[in-house]
Amino acid sequence: MVGEKRRSTSKNLAKNKKRKGPHLPNSILKTIANEKRPLNSDEEDDEIDSDDANVDLYEYEEGVPEEESRKNNRYDPVVNYDYELPEDFEDENVESDDDDEGGNSDNEEGEGDVVRHTRMLQAVTGMPSAAFDGESKRKPVLFTEAYPESEFNPTRDVLEGKGLLTIDDFMAPIEGKPGFNDLQKRISRMQKDTQAVVHAPLPKPERERLERKAVKGLVDKEFNKWVHMVKRNREAPTVYFNQNVSLGYSTVGAIASEFQPRTDFEKKMASVLNDNELGEAHDEDGAKLLELNEVSVEDHIKYRDHIAKMRSLLFRHELKSKRIKKIKSKTYHRLKGKDLKKSAMGALMDPEMAKEEAMKQEARRVEERMTLKHKNTGKWAKRMISRGLNVKYDGTRAAISEQLQINATLSRKMNSTNDGSSSDESDDEEELNDGSDQDTPSKLIAKAREKTLKTVEDDEVPNSGLLSLPFMARAMKKKNEEAIEEAKRALEEYEEWENSGGEENSKKTADVSGRRVFGATAKVEAPKESRKDSDNFYDNSDSDNDMEGIENNDLRAVRDTASPVRNTGAITETEKFDDDIENPASKTTFDVALFASGSWKKMKGCQNAETKKKTKKHVPYSKSQDKKESRDEESEDSESEAEQMVDGILTSASKETYEIPSQAELIQRAFAGDDVVDEFEKEKQEVLNQEVPEPEKPVLVPGWGQWTNIQKKRGLPSWMVREHEDAKKKRTLDLKTRKDARLRHVIISEKVDKKAEKLHTTTLPFPYTSKEVFEHSMRMPIGPEFNPATIVGSLNRPEVVKKAGVIIKPLKFEEANPNEKVDDEHPRSNQKQNPKKGGKTGKGQRKGKSKQKTKA
Amino acid sequence: MKIKTLSRSVDEYTRERSQDLQRVFHNFDPSLRPMEKAVEYKRALTAAKLEKIFARPFVGAMDGHRDGVSCMAKNPNYLKGIFSASMDGDIRLWDISSRRTVCQFPGHQGAVRGLTVSTDGNVLVSCGTDCTVRLWKVPRPTLEDSSVSSENFIEPAAEYVWKNAFWAVDHQFEGDLFATAGAQLEIWNHNRASPVQSFQWGTDSVISVRFNPGEPDILATSASDRSITIYDLRMSSAARRIIMMTKTNSIAWNPMEPMNLTAANEDGSCYSFDGRKMDEAKCVHKDHVSAVMDIDFSPTGREFVTGSYDRSVRIFPYNGGHSREIYHTKRMQRVFCVKYSCDATYVLSGSDDTNLRLWKAKASEQLGVILPREQKKHEYNEAVKNRYKHLPEVKRIVRHRHLPKPIYKALGIIRTVNDSKRRKEDRRRAHSAPGTIVTKPLRQRRIIKEVE
Repeated sequence: MVGEKRRSTSKNLAKNKKRKGPHLPNSILKTIANEKRPLNSDEEDDEIDSDDANVDLYEYEEGVPEEESRKNNRYDPVVNYDYELPEDFEDENVESDDDDEGGNSDNEEGEGDVVRHTRMLQAVTGMPSAAFDGESKRKPVLFTEAYPESEFNPTRDVLEGKGLLTIDDFMAPIEGKPGFNDLQKRISRMQKDTQAVVHAPLPKPERERLERKAVKGLVDKEFNKWVHMVKRNREAPTVYFNQNVSLGYSTVGAIASEFQPRTDFEKKMASVLNDNELGEAHDEDGAKLLELNEVSVEDHIKYRDHIAKMRSLLFRHELKSKRIKKIKSKTYHRLKGKDLKKSAMGALMDPEMAKEEAMKQEARRVEERMTLKHKNTGKWAKRMISRGLNVKYDGTRAAISEQLQINATLSRKMNSTNDGSSSDESDDEEELNDGSDQDTPSKLIAKAREKTLKTVEDDEVPNSGLLSLPFMARAMKKKNEEAIEEAKRALEEYEEWENSGGEENSKKTADVSGRRVFGATAKVEAPKESRKDSDNFYDNSDSDNDMEGIENNDLRAVRDTASPVRNTGAITETEKFDDDIENPASKTTFDVALFASGSWKKMKGCQNAETKKKTKKHVPYSKSQDKKESRDEESEDSESEAEQMVDGILTSASKETYEIPSQAELIQRAFAGDDVVDEFEKEKQEVLNQEVPEPEKPVLVPGWGQWTNIQKKRGLPSWMVREHEDAKKKRTLDLKTRKDARLRHVIISEKVDKKAEKLHTTTLPFPYTSKEVFEHSMRMPIGPEFNPATIVGSLNRPEVVKKAGVIIKPLKFEEANPNEKVDDEHPRSNQKQNPKKGGKTGKGQRKGKSKQKTKA
Repeated sequence: MKIKTLSRSVDEYTRERSQDLQRVFHNFDPSLRPMEKAVEYKRALTAAKLEKIFARPFVGAMDGHRDGVSCMAKNPNYLKGIFSASMDGDIRLWDISSRRTVCQFPGHQGAVRGLTVSTDGNVLVSCGTDCTVRLWKVPRPTLEDSSVSSENFIEPAAEYVWKNAFWAVDHQFEGDLFATAGAQLEIWNHNRASPVQSFQWGTDSVISVRFNPGEPDILATSASDRSITIYDLRMSSAARRIIMMTKTNSIAWNPMEPMNLTAANEDGSCYSFDGRKMDEAKCVHKDHVSAVMDIDFSPTGREFVTGSYDRSVRIFPYNGGHSREIYHTKRMQRVFCVKYSCDATYVLSGSDDTNLRLWKAKASEQLGVILPREQKKHEYNEAVKNRYKHLPEVKRIVRHRHLPKPIYKALGIIRTVNDSKRRKEDRRRAHSAPGTIVTKPLRQRRIIKEVE
């Protein structure tokens, strides 16, 4: 076998050599050279011919390759084992070796000794000369294999890629034997089928590299599946760990739910409690019992309400008695006793006596109303009022008011027997009033006075009910006092006005410039008005309404009185706005504000120019009013009234001399005193001086440089002067380069505030890319004082929320869930639910819930 | 007529119980509070100062070993238990709360280099330079353990002798495999006396190994040929390998981000890698002035602790270039091992001075039970400090740390060297044709190549 193999090797070698030929340009050159040279022997020709027979592709004459010619030992010697073959071997492929021989024959002539030596050896050993030929010429090459030949230690041939066995080689020996053709066919079929070919395994490093490449891909895939979780974790503002770990029981109920009966007694109890039969029995009987016990819903509600009422009454009474018991004042107790007695008396008194008493009272009242004895109609009172002493002296005023008070009490409407009639009377009176609105002023005043007095009288503390409670009483008293005071003042005014007479009145209206006076009076009015308002809030008694009634009736009169009178007038007016305007909230405030600022009238005038026109034309008052009414029918009642008032004032006040100034004029007049521009310039100069201070003038220290006349003459040293000049120049330059140098009306401070500097960063911090975003992130405060408690938690939550003492497990894989965003938004809600998981019942409930959800 | 009145319901300001806090009503109108920003800044400043005042990170030292502590292992199932081993072959179980030895595991003849605990906390695996792997049964923690002062000794449950000395061991998360690093990487089963798998890529010995907690079949090793390698056990093959300029002493996987790992390098920096793209580090964590010996991730995955040969322990944010905290004491020597406690509240360090030290992970954190109001206050302080941390004064106070003199000086030297290098390179670039001198970014500079 070995021999055969080698033979075939040699054959292939020969083939290869020949096929290689045309590819090499230098070999072609050599061929050309060979052609010129005469052929050495016939053998060579034969060889070529024989080769021709074998090789079917191409053939050309090729010279001996250089490495085989052995002209010089430039090439490594190659061992030829072919000569081990027996001489008589008939295969024609041996020629290639002969070719070698031919080559050798060339050399033989030059190396006669060597040839002879080989011949000798040949003779001795009986072996072909070539065997010794190689030995003698070349170095003997020994190939020792350290390891047995295997796939890891291939032979040289294999490594060189030569000597590959083909199937033909194996087939050759059995050619012609039975079954050969069959075999041949099968083999050829196999050869055609390329897929079934098994390649030789790759070397290990290569294989591992490929393996690693595959693994790398798999590992990457494995890692990639975590990406969504990692991303979610990283982007979450807060990561929660162990939120669903229960740290044990938190409530007594939770502990009790886990109770397991241990002792006999407990077990017995448990068996009874959990007995089904008992439960059924109870259900049956218990239901019947319940039926019997049924109470109607109405009854129940009634009962409940009753109980609630009683309870509240009891509570109030308790409170009251508690407080009353605490009072130590003797006077209080005395008065209380009196009261009690009185009430007792009243109760005791027989109806006859009561009637008598009432009659007496009525008589007194009638008398008073007829004589008006106490209404300052007396000689003294008249005198006092005519001389104006009541204004001057407090005592006098007090006396007069006392009289009035008496009058009021006496002429007060009585809640006695003839109640209905009196009310009718009053109604009649009012009707009359309404009709005679434009009556003589004196009458109006009288009416007003009367009403005022009435209100003063009406403010009486009720003896029973909630308002009798002391703190209420106190508040009421205070209010009443104020109201009374005001009423008194009003009364005084009425009086004065009455006294001064009608002609004076007209004169006064002419004199008083009405609402045209800005400033002081208006300012006085504002707070008072507000006070009045606050009063309104608290007392809903009829006193106010009455007052208004008065003022409604004779507003004009009030308006036209002197300045103190005007106060109240103004008050009432604003009140009227408050009450009557339909959309009070905004409008009222608007009007009041205008009023307070003093330019109210002006605005009004602007609002409806018609009114203004009228005022200029001096249309008589009544006429104008008529006109107005006809025009403003659709307009609101209050508005028309307001305008009316304005008209009234203006008609009475404005003569030809007065012209309404323009807006600009008004402003100019308002800011006449201050020169803003000058002030600003001064201020700017100051700022400049402060920020860029003027250089100090060079001064010599006393005693220095003033010793002699020469020194004095010389003056300041030149360097000082130069320095000063430089400083001056620098200052001017600084001033010029300032940002506000060219802006006349602007001061831009260039002083760096060290304290403010602390609140700024020099550079934009890392994660931020724009200034705006950074500033925005700092804008809203996060403290509990600045935010509602519901947000503070989320604003201040740290990045990682974990429980101390609970082991945190590594991340567990979850599939990407499309609904998980919902969970992210409410991590807290999850957490809240989780602790409930602990109990079995809780779990069951949760399950049930979730089921419901899925169903829904 | 519309009347506006002040009205208060009694219910709104009545307390249910006398212990309840009085409700306070605020008007949140910003126009009423023009100074809110200034107020909050001031609070931030105060919070920063308070943090400094309350910063007392050192909880206690655990003394008992007779030689330098070489490695530690935390019990993943029991918070209080920590195992430590020293260079003389001594292994101890400590009770952190009482800071005393619970029991000892004698048996190793040489230095113990690796220690790890199975995820259920029942089996302790140790290996060392005596070429043995020993498995121990961890005693169940009982109430008596902490009170009894007498130390009990435990016999190894199994002892496997192997061909070479070991450098490290790590247990798979929730599995029964563990990997040892020595002449090559070997995968063991609890019940087999010889490794079930072994990997070798190159001839250099493996010095550290760490399993991925998220992906239990993936592990990373570092070898003395300055390489970091990722293996996949399912394919029983390596996946990636990079060669760096210096050796990597230890590796830690991020437990919350299974693709990311951080390597503690000999050059004093830590490098965070993405396991899918190793040719450049995701982040370079610089601050140590000497080799980083060990690294461990916080279970929250937000920060990690490193122990260094420069006698300091530092805590880094997982995505920050510089440490947020440095811990050192006068007596602490070279730190060989560090661990983050399983609840992310404490940090443990084992050093050459035979002591284990327990630190708080947040230096100024208040320990013990915290009332909800207190908690809210702490949170607010933290939030406000975080908001104004960029302002110079707050930044200065928050960042200030006292450093031991050698570290301070070394930092100065490193800075100088780096500056001069940069200067030189700038000049070189300025004086050569544009584009001829290309500088690699810092994240790639220390990585030589990725091996296929």
